[in-house]
Amino acid sequence: MSEHATGGAGETVATDASIRVMVVDDHPMWRDAVERDLQQAGFDVVAVAATGTEALTRFKAARPQVVVLDLQIPEPDGVGVTREALAHDPSARVLVLSASGEQADVLEAVKAGATGYLVKSASREELLDAVRRVAGGDTVFTPGLAGLVLGEFRRMADPAAAADPMQPQLTERETEVLKMVAKGMSYKQIAERLVLSHRTVQNHVQNTLRKLQMHNRVELTRWAIEQGLDED
Amino acid sequence: MLRGVTLANAVVLNFYRADNFQRPVGGVICVLVMLAWTALAVWAYAAPRRRTVGLLVADLAVAVGLLAVTPLVKGDGFNATVPGFWVAGALLAWAVRYRWVGGLLAAVVLAATDLLVREEVTQANYGNVFLIVIGGPIVGFMCGSLQQMAAERDRAERTAAAAAERARLARAVHDGVLQVLSLVQRRGAELGGEAAELGRLAGEQESRLRTLIRTQERTVAGPGESDAVLDLAAELGRLESRVAVTVAAPATPVELPADVVRELCAVVGACLDNVAVHVGPQAPAWVLLEAFADRVELSVRDEGPGIPAGRLEQAAAEGRLGVSESIRGRVADLGGTAELSTGSFGTEWEIVVPVASGRH
Repeated sequence: MSEHATGGAGETVATDASIRVMVVDDHPMWRDAVERDLQQAGFDVVAVAATGTEALTRFKAARPQVVVLDLQIPEPDGVGVTREALAHDPSARVLVLSASGEQADVLEAVKAGATGYLVKSASREELLDAVRRVAGGDTVFTPGLAGLVLGEFRRMADPAAAADPMQPQLTERETEVLKMVAKGMSYKQIAERLVLSHRTVQNHVQNTLRKLQMHNRVELTRWAIEQGLDED
Repeated sequence: MLRGVTLANAVVLNFYRADNFQRPVGGVICVLVMLAWTALAVWAYAAPRRRTVGLLVADLAVAVGLLAVTPLVKGDGFNATVPGFWVAGALLAWAVRYRWVGGLLAAVVLAATDLLVREEVTQANYGNVFLIVIGGPIVGFMCGSLQQMAAERDRAERTAAAAAERARLARAVHDGVLQVLSLVQRRGAELGGEAAELGRLAGEQESRLRTLIRTQERTVAGPGESDAVLDLAAELGRLESRVAVTVAAPATPVELPADVVRELCAVVGACLDNVAVHVGPQAPAWVLLEAFADRVELSVRDEGPGIPAGRLEQAAAEGRLGVSESIRGRVADLGGTAELSTGSFGTEWEIVVPVASGRH
C-alpha cells in the first residue's frame, strides 16, 4: 500500500449508530463490501447509489451526513455530485473513496467541497476511521492529496499568473503543516515536531481546504456572472 | 472545365481564321466533332464507373484523329492544328488516370502526331510540343503524390482515432482491474494467513498499475512536448511502483529539461535505495515535489532510526565519500543544494534546484 490516511484515530464526535451514511459506487461488488463494513461497524447506511443521477435523487430523500463517493461513476461524475449535494445540504460531508488515482479529479472534488480522500486499497479500519472523522467535521488527507493542494496554492501564488486580489494565500504555519502532511507525517508527529496541540494541527489543515474551496466558489460565481453579462 | 475553355478557344480561333480552311465543310465537321466529343467526355468522366480504359483510348484517339485530319481540311502548310490546345483534355485525363507514365505516353503520341502532320517544324511548334511532353508527366506525377498524401492522411486519422479509442477502453478496463485488486487486498488483509499474502501482492500490483496509468495519461495529455522537456511530476510518479513509496506532487505538469529531470529522478532513486538498505526493503518513504517559478524543491523522507552521529564524518575521514556525498555532488552539478537532516525522527533529504524562469 502506498498511501495511507494520516493522523491517529480522531476524537469521535458522534456515535457510529447515529451517523447516517450513503455509499455511491458503480461497482456492485465494491458498493456491497463498503456497505457491509459500515453496517457491521454500526453505521446507519441510509442509501446506496450506482450513478450520479441516482446519488443526487437519493441524497435529497435520505439526507445522509456522510457520502462515501467513488469519483468514476456514470454522469454526473463524482465532482458534479459533490458540488450538487453540498449545494443542497452544506452540512453534509463528502469522503472520496477512489481507485482511479486520477490526481486532477481528486483535486477538483476537493475544490468542490469534499473533505476527505482515501484510496480504495485503504484497510477496513482506515475507512471506518475516515468516515467517523469526516462526520465529525475533520479532514482526511493523504500525503498525495496534500501535495496536490500545496501545488495548487503554489501555482496560484506564482507571480507569472495573473494577479488576483481574491487569491487565497496560506499563512506560513499553514504551509508548514500542509508540507509535513505531504511528506507523510501524521498529525501526531506534526504536533510533536511543531510543539502544537493535535487540534491546532487539524485546524490548520482544515483551513487550507476551506480557503481552496472558498476560492473555487468565488471563481464559479464570477464565471456565472460573466456568462450572464455576456448573454445580455 | 478545362475542356470547356479549350473548346471555346479552339472554336473561336477556327471561326476567326475560317479563311485558312481549304475545305470549310470539313472544318465545320471537325468543330462539330469536338463539340460532341467534349459533351460526351464531360458526361462520361463524371461517373467513376464510366472512366474505363476504352473511354481514355477513345478520348486520345479523337484528339489524334483531329490532329491528323488538319492537313486535309486546312491544306498543307497550315499554321495551327484544328483542335489546338483542346488536346490537353485527353492528355490530362491520361495523366490523372495513369500517373506520369500515362501523361508521358499520351504526350508523346500527341506530340508525334502533331509533328508528323506538319511539313515544317517552327520554333513555336517545337515549344508547344515540348510543353505537352513535359506537362503530361508532371501533372501525372502530382496527381500520384496528392493521392498518396490523401491516403497517408486518412491512415494517420484512422490511427489517431484508434489510439484514442484504445486509451478510452484502457481506462475503463484499468478501472475495473484496480477495483478488483483493491478489493482482494482489503479482504485478504482481513482474512489473514495466506490470503493476507495474496492481498499484499494484489496491493503492490494495484499501486503499480495506478502509477502506470497516471504517467501514461500525462504523456498522452501533453500536447506538442518536445524531446528536450519532461514532466518531473510524472517521472517521479513512476517511483511509486516501488514498495511503500509515496509520491506527492502538484496536479499540473512540472516541465524541465529532460536531462535535469532524469538526473533528479536518479538522485531521488539513490535516496530511496539508501532507505531500502539502511532502514529496510519494506520501510515506508515519502517523496514531495514542489514547483516554484524559479526553483523546484524535493524532499525524500523516511522514518528509520536515522544516521548515527559521526558516521558520515568517519566515512569521509576513511576516504570513503559514500552515498551522501554522491547525492550532494550530483545536485551541485545541477546548480542546486542538498541538505540532510537526520535524527530519531528519521532521515530527510531536502533538495533545491534552481530552474530557468519562464517555466510553464
